[in-house]
Amino acid sequence: MAGFFERIVHLDRRWIFLFVLLSVAAPIIVPIGLPVDETAPTRAAFDFIESLHDGDVVLISFDYGPSSAPENDPMAEAVMRQCALKKLRFVVCALYPLGALGLANNVVAEIEGEFPDLRYGVDYANLGYKDGAAAVMRRMGEDIAGAFPTDVKGTPLSQIPIMKGVHDLRQVKLVFTAATGLIGEWWITQVHPQVGVPVIIGPTAVSAPKYYAFINSGQIVGMLGGMKGAAEFENLLRERYPQMEKFYKTTRAFTATKGNDAQTVLHTVILLFLLLGNIAYIRHRAAAARGKA
Amino acid sequence: MHLPHIGIWIAAFLTISSLSFLYKDNPFFRFAESLFAGVSLGYYVGIVLNQTLMPNLIAPMLEDFGQNWDLVVPGILGVLLYMRYAPKIGWVSRYALAIYVTYYIGLDFTRRLHGEVMPQLARAIQPLASLDSTTLYSLVYIVGVFSVLVYFFFSKEQGPITGRISRLGIWFLMISFGAAFGFTVMGRVALLIGRLNFLILDWIYPMIGLR
Amino acid sequence: MNLEFGRVMLVILFAVVPILGILLGMRAPALRSRIPIYVAVFSGLIPILSMYIPKRFLSGPTGMSPRLDQWLIILAGFALLLGIVNVLQNNMRKISRREKGWPFSVVLLVGLFVTGGFGIYGAASGHGIGIAADGTPTPFQYMTNWFFQPLQSTIFSLLAFFMASAAFRAFRARNAEATILLVAASLIMMGRVPVLELIAAPIPALHPAAASASQGLGKLTEWIMKTPNGAAQSGIIIGAALGAGSMAIRVILGIERGYLGLGRGE
Repeated sequence: MAGFFERIVHLDRRWIFLFVLLSVAAPIIVPIGLPVDETAPTRAAFDFIESLHDGDVVLISFDYGPSSAPENDPMAEAVMRQCALKKLRFVVCALYPLGALGLANNVVAEIEGEFPDLRYGVDYANLGYKDGAAAVMRRMGEDIAGAFPTDVKGTPLSQIPIMKGVHDLRQVKLVFTAATGLIGEWWITQVHPQVGVPVIIGPTAVSAPKYYAFINSGQIVGMLGGMKGAAEFENLLRERYPQMEKFYKTTRAFTATKGNDAQTVLHTVILLFLLLGNIAYIRHRAAAARGKA
Repeated sequence: MHLPHIGIWIAAFLTISSLSFLYKDNPFFRFAESLFAGVSLGYYVGIVLNQTLMPNLIAPMLEDFGQNWDLVVPGILGVLLYMRYAPKIGWVSRYALAIYVTYYIGLDFTRRLHGEVMPQLARAIQPLASLDSTTLYSLVYIVGVFSVLVYFFFSKEQGPITGRISRLGIWFLMISFGAAFGFTVMGRVALLIGRLNFLILDWIYPMIGLR
Repeated sequence: MNLEFGRVMLVILFAVVPILGILLGMRAPALRSRIPIYVAVFSGLIPILSMYIPKRFLSGPTGMSPRLDQWLIILAGFALLLGIVNVLQNNMRKISRREKGWPFSVVLLVGLFVTGGFGIYGAASGHGIGIAADGTPTPFQYMTNWFFQPLQSTIFSLLAFFMASAAFRAFRARNAEATILLVAASLIMMGRVPVLELIAAPIPALHPAAASASQGLGKLTEWIMKTPNGAAQSGIIIGAALGAGSMAIRVILGIERGYLGLGRGE
């Protein structure tokens, strides 16, 4: 038995890598369908968007890159779907330099395909990417066109109907930022004190623990923490809008709910690793203590 | 069965090349790594030119120079930044660098004060009037914030009382770091789920007729 | 010509003064490090003061601060491309000297020039770098979809494997603090996703108990995240913010000059 633990702990790490790979691949090949429990921050985010009125404008900021797309893409898509279903208007922008623009373009294209009745320039607009995130946010607080003179296609903002009533962020009812790092935090710590616009953040799981401090202080109205948060939001969307049930069941696109099974399996695997590693360590320490005595 | 289009084959090849590092370093991984570095830098060129320099600098000056003549200054400052690579006149880039760095630091200063210190302190200072679970949790919260701040006070050596408070702060920090580890596991796993989902469902399944 | 007070002041502070500084610096090398710091003081103070001084010349629509924001958006774009020159120099040197691994430098440069070239084409042709009206991606977007995104996603996904390996080989309950960390991590991992339901999945009789335990664990997890974790994070945020704030003052006032490549006495 002692030998078993010793051998396990000193296993070539490439066997561990293979085990991890198979643990994640198995639930993708054979889905389990594990449930997704909701948490208060996600419910608060969903309810806040539900409380907005027809025609209200929501700013959706893509502040992440492909390095966190499996977590943030489902969030951005789910929030856009909710806006489309609730007849809210949304404006998209991207402030993260390494890849946000491409992802924003792809997600907007996907939503355009799902909701063909949405009219570009009237119901939604894509402002594209801009450098200098903090300066951009500051400018948008006073004059959006000062930061984004044109949309992603090069059309001046003055010629886009949705932007006619939206001069600055004070006319926006909500900022949703799907974020991988500091840029998302700046919407909370810079823009919210500057203009008072409510903020919902969709951080990666790695940075989600920090945002509980901002939830507690009331600086954000809700949070979608990582892929799990996105899965919870998709769940809430399905409950509230029954037409989304069929969509999420049949879509071939990646959704956070699909990732929930694999995440659970790998969490179990990691917990097993922690248990085995620490049992071996305790046994080793006990043997060393016996040896000394 | 239908073969995935060429883009998916390219993405699958690059994905598997990158994952091959897990077995050992090899030329395929080095190829993917070098291509990643090059494509990333090329990506920056594309987005900066199309999304910032053209609409915010060049187009406004071409369309209405009278209104936007002052944009020549940030344009020249931007070029000055690159003078750092010229050995004899590299010092002139200090002007552009100084303006750039201190502007963002100035923004950071107000952000820290109004967006972090003041709201967080306001949350930490809560009334403890009633005897209920809310008060208990508020007490835990205040004790946690205070003990963590005491731990981070490095200007003076810690005595017996501050040492004990500091130790309590460390325990709060350990809970927080444990939570961070748990969430980090979730975050990193999500990336792997995304890639394997692509490889299995978007590349392999169509090839073998399962999609 | 638009001669608003804000623009004229900005041009004087950040164009005329630097030009004079450069001319003086050519004659007196000691001024090459002094004058940029004087310019930096204004650049740092304008965004701060505009928050507290509601005067038109500073924070109004024609004031200095809004226009400076627009300038710095442009400057940030130039700054983002700064590293490319360094990369070009290093890799071209590697190729010309046939140093070890030089073919991979060729790969890097090909990637850079092809993607960058598509970006320049998008700007020059007016087609842009996104998705056309008929749904077809531009060449730049094609590179993004099938080269850039898969590469970046996969390179970062390698972290999952190394993290699992580290959890197995290094994460030990060596002392009280490490044990607290381990217990908290385990509770969070079990509470955030339905681990108990997965373990009980093969045994239908255990499903209700597993679901109930999972919900309880979920509530405990949320409390841990909200209260002890929230408190610790709040303390970290306050401490870090105070430190960063004091560093900001030092930089703006020219006491810290390391970012300009200058030491204390220079």
